[in-house]
Amino acid sequence: MSSVLLAMQTTLLNDMRPFGVMAHVMVLFAASAGVVYGSEIGALAGLIIGLMYDSVLTTPLGLASLVLGATAYIAGAFPYLVRDSSWWSKIIAVAVASAIGEILFPVAQAMVGYSGWVQWRVLTVALVVGVVNLVFAPVMLLLTKWTLKETLVG
Amino acid sequence: MSILSAKRKRAIALLSLTSIILITLDLQGSASTSVLRGTFGAYFRPIEGVARVVTRPISNAWYGITHYNDLTEENNLLREKIAQQEGAAVAAAASVRLSQELLALNGLPTLAGINSVSAQVIGDSPSNFSQTVEINQGSDSGIKVGMPVMNAAGLVGKVTKTFTRRSIVMLITDPEYALSVKVINNPKESPNVINDPEAAATTTSSTSTTTTVPTTQATSNIPGFTPGATTIPLNTINVTVSIPSLAPTLTVPISGALPVRETGILEGRGPTRVPIVRFIDSAQRFGTILPGAPIVTSGGSLSLAPPDIVVGTVTKVNDRLGTAGPILEINLVADLTNLSFVRILLYQPITERVTS
Repeated sequence: MSSVLLAMQTTLLNDMRPFGVMAHVMVLFAASAGVVYGSEIGALAGLIIGLMYDSVLTTPLGLASLVLGATAYIAGAFPYLVRDSSWWSKIIAVAVASAIGEILFPVAQAMVGYSGWVQWRVLTVALVVGVVNLVFAPVMLLLTKWTLKETLVG
Repeated sequence: MSILSAKRKRAIALLSLTSIILITLDLQGSASTSVLRGTFGAYFRPIEGVARVVTRPISNAWYGITHYNDLTEENNLLREKIAQQEGAAVAAAASVRLSQELLALNGLPTLAGINSVSAQVIGDSPSNFSQTVEINQGSDSGIKVGMPVMNAAGLVGKVTKTFTRRSIVMLITDPEYALSVKVINNPKESPNVINDPEAAATTTSSTSTTTTVPTTQATSNIPGFTPGATTIPLNTINVTVSIPSLAPTLTVPISGALPVRETGILEGRGPTRVPIVRFIDSAQRFGTILPGAPIVTSGGSLSLAPPDIVVGTVTKVNDRLGTAGPILEINLVADLTNLSFVRILLYQPITERVTS
């Protein structure tokens, strides 16, 4: 599943850039894992998805792994904020976590010395990614339930 | 917060630590991270290839919907530009050739003397925070990290990672990109004209010449045909010829009128903002920098690019107080949004060359 999503990320989504911003299906997957299965499984999934994503990026290997792990962990905190979660509140949670994850990317890059990407544009990118992921979240939540098992790593 | 299971906790800690170690290794330039990327690439390329084939119709449909009007306008604009530039290109090519011959004659390095490799752009960076492209030539073709990459228009970027059959090129617009460049300023000042004092009084004599053109009666051997139109009537043409005096006049361009070069550092600022040039000397000798001044690479023993690769032109000059010097916003000559083929100059500065 991660390989297929990564292939979509590097081909289709890389070509289709609404408002000049690339939609981020890897962040969407990590956030969905967090919302569906909670912080711990979400963080594990995020770290592994991120490691795969790292392999096709030019940023230092391991950086996207930490970012997606953190994104999924944040998304996993959603059940603690909402008592009775409904389907639409989960979708909003995925979108918000995606936007936060997108902001974390340049912040993490700045922490390892690539500070040039911390710009106001990051907010635009986060907003677009959040909105796009809001649209695709229902499908991704179903896919996440189907592909990830709660018994992941014990 | 729920209590994390010990096993999962350990797995998260282990993966996080692995990531931190990988970041450290990668930042140190360790070859092991390249091996990891290469191994994953060998597994992932076929999947990506299939995905590219499957998703291409969707991408094309998307381009059709979102870029149709832009494409039509661009085509019209390009046709007009081609027509304008066809003539200028011939003259420019002759000038370039002459310049290269002169440089070669003086033993100076020229771009024509540097070997290059052509490559196709096969992918963009799948990230919003990196301005790179992937090309289909690698270390097997002699490409090394740092080599300059250009297209038909001008400089595009530099190689930042090489694999055996592919490379990653960082574009000029990436915020991590920096390069030494020079601005060629051409102050608009009139040249000095030095007259011989003894012949200061320049005279112009006017001579009137009268030329008489005799009537030419054209004849024809064709029966019944009289070529009347070819008859030139008798005319008197008055031609006024101005003969200047032979006073020795020497035209020497003043030093300020010659193109002045000043070096600075080009920095990328991301896809939405134009690159800038910093650290330009605000000396008076350089004069006022005007929009349109060309920017080329400066070269030198420490620069990764050879001299005189065209980068762009100045679009805006942001003056600063004191001796800080202006910041120049530049318009790149290469269109980085639509790269198809590029040329990698197999150039390494003297300081980088390893003698075998």
